[in-house]
Amino acid sequence: MADTPSELLHGTLETLILKTLTGGRRHGYGIARAIEDATDGVVDVEEGSLYPALYRMERRELVEAEWGTSELGRRAKFYRITPRGRRQLAAQTAEWTRFSGAISKVLLASS
Amino acid sequence: MPVPSRFYRWPWKVRVEDEVDEELAFHIEMRTRELCDRGVPEADARREAHRRIGDLDRMRASLRDMGARRDEHIMRAQYLGELGQDVTFALRQLLKTPMFTAITVLTLALGIGGTTAIFSAVYAVVLRPLPIERPDRLYVVGEMFQGGTSNMSVGNFTDAVEGTTAFEGLAAQQFFSFNLSEGGTAERVVGARVTANFFDVIGSRPLTGRTFTADEDTPGGARVVVLSHRLWRQRFGGGSVVGRDIRLNGEIHRVIGIMPQSFDLRSNSEDLWTPIAFTPKQKVWHDDHYLDVYGRLKPGVTIERATEELEAVATRLRRDFPKDCGNLRYATQPFAEQFVGDYKTRLLVLLAAVTIVLLIACSNVANLLLARGAARAREVAIRTAIGAGRWRIVRQLLTESVVLGLLAGTAGVAIAYWTVRAVLAWSPAGVPRLEQTRVDPVTLAFAAALAIGSSILCGLAPALRLSRDEPQRGLHEGRRGATSGGVRDRLRAGLIVAEVALSLTLLVGAGLLIRTGIALQAVNPGFDPAGVLSARVALPESAYPEPERIMETFRRLTEDTQHLPGVTHAAVSSYAALGPGIGSNGLLPEGQPFDLNNLINSQLRMISPDFFQTMRIPIVKGRAFDENDRTGGQKVMIVSEALAARAFPGQDPIGKRISCCERGPNDGPVLKLIVGVAGDVHSRDLARAPAPEFYLPIPQVPREAWTWIQRTMYVVVRTDGDPAALVQPLKAVVGRIDPDVPLFDVRLMDQRVQLSLATSRFNTFLLTLLGVVGLLLAASGIYGIVAYLVSQRTQEIGVRMALGATPSQVVRMVLKQAMKPVAVGALLGIAAALLASRVLAAQLFAVKPTDPLTISVVAATLIVVAFVASVVPARRAAAVDPTRALSAD
Repeated sequence: MADTPSELLHGTLETLILKTLTGGRRHGYGIARAIEDATDGVVDVEEGSLYPALYRMERRELVEAEWGTSELGRRAKFYRITPRGRRQLAAQTAEWTRFSGAISKVLLASS
Repeated sequence: MPVPSRFYRWPWKVRVEDEVDEELAFHIEMRTRELCDRGVPEADARREAHRRIGDLDRMRASLRDMGARRDEHIMRAQYLGELGQDVTFALRQLLKTPMFTAITVLTLALGIGGTTAIFSAVYAVVLRPLPIERPDRLYVVGEMFQGGTSNMSVGNFTDAVEGTTAFEGLAAQQFFSFNLSEGGTAERVVGARVTANFFDVIGSRPLTGRTFTADEDTPGGARVVVLSHRLWRQRFGGGSVVGRDIRLNGEIHRVIGIMPQSFDLRSNSEDLWTPIAFTPKQKVWHDDHYLDVYGRLKPGVTIERATEELEAVATRLRRDFPKDCGNLRYATQPFAEQFVGDYKTRLLVLLAAVTIVLLIACSNVANLLLARGAARAREVAIRTAIGAGRWRIVRQLLTESVVLGLLAGTAGVAIAYWTVRAVLAWSPAGVPRLEQTRVDPVTLAFAAALAIGSSILCGLAPALRLSRDEPQRGLHEGRRGATSGGVRDRLRAGLIVAEVALSLTLLVGAGLLIRTGIALQAVNPGFDPAGVLSARVALPESAYPEPERIMETFRRLTEDTQHLPGVTHAAVSSYAALGPGIGSNGLLPEGQPFDLNNLINSQLRMISPDFFQTMRIPIVKGRAFDENDRTGGQKVMIVSEALAARAFPGQDPIGKRISCCERGPNDGPVLKLIVGVAGDVHSRDLARAPAPEFYLPIPQVPREAWTWIQRTMYVVVRTDGDPAALVQPLKAVVGRIDPDVPLFDVRLMDQRVQLSLATSRFNTFLLTLLGVVGLLLAASGIYGIVAYLVSQRTQEIGVRMALGATPSQVVRMVLKQAMKPVAVGALLGIAAALLASRVLAAQLFAVKPTDPLTISVVAATLIVVAFVASVVPARRAAAVDPTRALSAD
């Protein structure tokens, strides 16, 4: 793993984005804040990774975008998870659980 | 391009650039606000927000790029999705009406299949590049002669080589027959003697071994031979043969190379090559024109420059050798053009004809689609009402016709495959590369383009019509509503006009060829082919160097043949008729000054006395040859009527003298006395007027004459019985005289007559077949349209009949509506035929392209057929029960 915990694996960021969108539509900043808040700031979402990931996910139809009004009354681009995104999230979550469980077994085993 | 559905959800459309800018600005704003809320001073907060983004411009650029690609991807996906829906829908619709689908697909498949098959032949013969290097630089060089081109003499060739720099090389070729005796059997093989650079000039390298060196191409050089791929496979089984010795014309030749298969340019091209090895004496001899000459231009040099250089050579030769070269001019022609010859026109005519059939098929399908569209007006109206755009509807309808077209294309390729096989099996020999016709990727691409093109052609008008209907009308009036009205009837009338005009054009072409065929059949060839067997015998130079030996051998052959049981007459001649091997000489009637323009080019036959009786060529004046016309006696000749008329117009030719064929002391003329006039013979071609011809008795021919004809004579035998039964006895006679000499080109004279007509017959057959198919399609199309128009007027007809119209009045009314476009189509068709039939001119005989009889018979036939096709539905209309008609839908 990298030195700083904030550096995320490529696939992990996508999974986290999808997870934050299950609660409803969010704009890019909202997604970043939601992840940061949920991880108590351990994970710092860099803009340089966030937006390319979002555009990529739009293209792959994991999320779709629409324009709306933000909580402060400004026009903003909101992202919404698609059915395909939900399927992807479910698959990734299962995979993560399996993987982290396996790693934990090794690391926490009493030697 | 349709707009991606995703964009509908946005309240307004946003450009990708603005989307990115706005999104990033919003992000920075929110981040700044967050930091401010945590107590950071605003300026620092803003700086920190920007720092987190990094290089803003780069980020923007990369996101814009990703956004653009994202939009493209989504649009394409959406478009394909809709296309998939359309195709599925179309297939479902077509399956709902299997009869309609089957008829449409078959009609189109017939057109596409026929067109594809003929196209594949055109591609194989005309369009496909020749399998040689840079064919565009290869030219055939000849001499202009009495309005045409002739072969070149060795002297003129040698001087052309020395006097020009425009060519990479000029190569000469003399077609030559060889007796190939290998493994105990003698066989006649057509080959050529060529200059050493021949293969380089044509642009092909040997498959194995090598071609000739300059040393081998000199008198006394090594006897070597290069084999064609075909001969190598057929005669030597494709085994190792380079370095082996074979017997050609009785002499041992070493095989030094084999040419590749691609060098078998046509099915009957030459099978072996030996060096031509001109002697110094030949090189300065400007008479005797027998060379085929090819020239390959140097890169960057134009044919104009080459022509100028050749003309400079010709100018010098005309001055230096006024007697032989007084009117010499060189002529050049692109090799590819000469190679394909007039088959190009013939094939393109067929392609045009089959395209007309395809167009008629398209009109039929267009009408079927119109009728189907009418039945679906309600469906379209509903779809329009619920918001489908016009373009969307047209696209759906066109998808349906393209699906139909592709189904037809698939069936068409199958039809083309079988047609190509049938055409190949029935086609006449000698069409270059026709045997290489096949359904290949190019043909398939052509068929696919045809399928899509023709389906759009016949689908577009109906689709546009249907989509233009106002939805309320379609919904309101139901089945009939969207179909009445003048505009649509005009479209249908237009289809009738097109079908009549197209099939009339086609049938006029077929009619002209049929008349040509009938006229050719009636041509008297000038001899009686029935009961005559003909074959050729060639004596090799090595075993028969002296004219005395040759004449003695042919005399024995004639005598032995005459004694065969069943034979009434037998003769030998340097030429029979309608076969290969004809030669001609320039003749000068006595009293005319020597000038090359005064020479009468006449075809020569060197004959034994019984030739006229055997062929039943009449002697119209004077006498035939007899035993007294011998070597050293008074030199005599017999002329044909055409030659007599040319040489001595209005006078009795008997007793007149003509000089020809040899030179006396001091290059003076050698005069021959005319002792008889023979009837004209169509020697080369039944379709051409008989050329001037003359006959010499074998004992009196010049010694060189045996070289002109390569010691090859025809044997002609007449019998009262079956001439085919004479083949074996004749072979036995030749075998007894010399077992190394084969009898070849054995054919009944009747067969030669038929063969000379084969190409023209085949074309006539194909064009007639296409004409009949076109006529049937047009008839069924007219029937369909009229039947439809009648069904649309059922109610009106009911009203008229209820008001007292008689059935015959109703029939007349319907016929008037139908026959008006037929008449217009016939007039247009006549005009088109008058223009189009000109391309047939070269293929016609004894009939003009504008032949009024053919045109009126065809027009009358078409009008009658159209009339019958309209009467059936018209009478059905008149039989309608008025009360039923009025209450219908």
